[in-house]
Amino acid sequence: MPADSPSSQAIYPAQNVGKMRVFGYDLASPRNSHVLGYLLLFPAGLLIFAIIIYPLLLSLDISFQEIKIPRPGGDRKPWTTVNYTNLARSGEFWNACWVTFRLVIVVSAACFLIGLGTALLVNQKFKGRTVARLVVALPWAIPEVVATVIFWWLFDTSYGAVNWLIVVLGFTEQPMSWFSNPVAAFALVSIVMTWKGYPFVSIMILAGLQAIPEDYYNAAKVDRANAWQRFTYITMPCLVPVLAVTMVLNILWVFRDFSIIYVLTGGGPINATETLSILTYERAFGFFEFGAAAAVGIVTLIICLVVSRFLVARRVGAMH
Amino acid sequence: MRFQSIRNAGVAAVAALALSLPAVQAETLKFVSWQKDESGVGEWWAEAIAKFEADHPGVSIEWTKVARNEYADTMTTLFASGAPPDIIHLASFEYHNFAEQGWMENLDPWIENAGLDLEGWAGQQACVWNGETACIMLLYFGFIMAYNQAILDEAGVAVPTNFEEYMAASRALTKDTDGDGIIDQFGTGHQTSSGGGQYLTEMLNYVLDAGARWTTPDGMPAFDTPEMVEGLRRWKTVVQEGLTPRDLNSGDVRQIFIDGKMGLKVDGPWLYGLMRTARPEVFEQLKVTRPPFDPPLGGSSNVIGMASEISDEKKQLVWDFIAIIASDEFQSKFASMAASTPPSPRADTSGALEAVPHFPLLIETQMAAAAAGVDRIPTGLEIQFNRFAKLVTEAAQRMIIEDQDPADTAAWIQEQAMALK
Repeated sequence: MPADSPSSQAIYPAQNVGKMRVFGYDLASPRNSHVLGYLLLFPAGLLIFAIIIYPLLLSLDISFQEIKIPRPGGDRKPWTTVNYTNLARSGEFWNACWVTFRLVIVVSAACFLIGLGTALLVNQKFKGRTVARLVVALPWAIPEVVATVIFWWLFDTSYGAVNWLIVVLGFTEQPMSWFSNPVAAFALVSIVMTWKGYPFVSIMILAGLQAIPEDYYNAAKVDRANAWQRFTYITMPCLVPVLAVTMVLNILWVFRDFSIIYVLTGGGPINATETLSILTYERAFGFFEFGAAAAVGIVTLIICLVVSRFLVARRVGAMH
Repeated sequence: MRFQSIRNAGVAAVAALALSLPAVQAETLKFVSWQKDESGVGEWWAEAIAKFEADHPGVSIEWTKVARNEYADTMTTLFASGAPPDIIHLASFEYHNFAEQGWMENLDPWIENAGLDLEGWAGQQACVWNGETACIMLLYFGFIMAYNQAILDEAGVAVPTNFEEYMAASRALTKDTDGDGIIDQFGTGHQTSSGGGQYLTEMLNYVLDAGARWTTPDGMPAFDTPEMVEGLRRWKTVVQEGLTPRDLNSGDVRQIFIDGKMGLKVDGPWLYGLMRTARPEVFEQLKVTRPPFDPPLGGSSNVIGMASEISDEKKQLVWDFIAIIASDEFQSKFASMAASTPPSPRADTSGALEAVPHFPLLIETQMAAAAAGVDRIPTGLEIQFNRFAKLVTEAAQRMIIEDQDPADTAAWIQEQAMALK
């Protein structure tokens, strides 16, 4: 129907033709472009509120109640800080913080070193490079629980291949109790997490390496820079933006990972591998203390926010 | 035009009403269980459901399986969301927290109205919470000891009948059979990985035989006794000397026994079902007898109850199902089909002898454990059971790892357990 036909004019008054009005705003006007932007963002914002903000607010609310098992619409308990004061006095909580901190340091450092090494390796031109890249990325593709069960059997005290190997090769006379020795259990969790986590770092760094212009290296060679100088003065500075994001994501993954530790050691022995994630689960579903569990979750969230903010600001700042 | 719209709307409303009628009449009861696929007991449940549905035309039971290791989490989530199953099936050590919240129906009026006689019902006292009957006990069992005759014969060891003989036999049977320097045959087997409740159950064999209990009859922690110190010392010896494989969960330990690499295995009646999965040449060597511990470990296993927040009509239907489960007919069938000891004293267990040759042994150990008032759940610490289990497990692990004196460990647990109260 032509816009100037009588019927059209009845529906679209002449002064509105070419305009799109919502709540009195002409969205076609550049003056109101921000309104259109907000309107388009609204569904996404609503979704984010429903799946991120609302659960967070709910957790925050529960963390301030001395509650066993919460229920939507159930009786509320008065707000109190008792969950947080109990946490501050709890040896278990501080132990979980310490274990998480050590795990973050060990696993992130190992992932960084192995990821960087493998990325530099598979960035070289050699025969079988495609296969090498596939092998490097393989652990990332294996589901966490599957990988963990494989390692669990490999390191089994009585029938594991690793113990058989170290005894046969004469490293020890007795099999190692990987799961009942606190130091060994922590080492084992670190090994599995590193194995599972380094491919992500490697892939990200590889992408960063491929984005560095070849001209930089050629110019450096003309200036007689050796390999180490090229690495420290070209490769690393160019990788900083990638590394910042990668390491933040890696650290957050270590912080919140649950399944590897839960399947491998359940947080034991004697809390040697009990991280904040395991503690949260245990308080909620083991001890039915959802208020206390929510408090651990909120504290974990705050630590993660601070760590992420600090790392991103530092790394990006360092780049400039 | 207007009339046509009204007519269309009327037709649609009548059609919707007609479609919804069967839905109103057809009631569905939700039932979640971990035993759905379990050989024997799963078939027993299926038969009870079939009978219920035959007795109640138009009413069906929606039976869903949830794996045991996810069960507590799932039930907690269902209860917390306000949508628990109508028929509640729980392990006997985990119902207390839900009953404490008032989410499980008090069954006393239902029992009274139906005239259900629970006198002598094994383990039923464990279903009483805050003075009300929150559930009906489905299984109370006594432990048995299975052994591998070939392994014992090869070592020239007789079947042990007391703790001292048991230790001597376990030491004689633990060996490196292929000469690679690694022990690959074990005298006995226990779960020693972290796992709370099961770790405690394994320890309790030795604690009971030493004359100790986790708590006093009035529910106070009882770790500061010489008997408890002796019990802890026995557990430490078994684990530290490597008479059991280390760091395995109960399922893996049982599998080692089934594979013919373990001499003795003290476990619940369910072990026999697993033994039947052994290779024929191994199975013919596997025997069962009374445990060498006095009293034998026993305990309540799982319970059935009713959600408190459902309609009265549904409550009546759920009770009808519970009544079928508790009937003499189905208690007798439980013995023959599930090959386990039914809690009802009126159950006819003669049919079970064909399926389970050692059924009299199961009855004997059940009676012995019940007579001694043994249960895996410590009286007075039911609500805090998981926390208590973690506390004792960690203390025991520390005692073994750091080679602590059992007396110090017992004193430490006593202090911590008192704080839990």
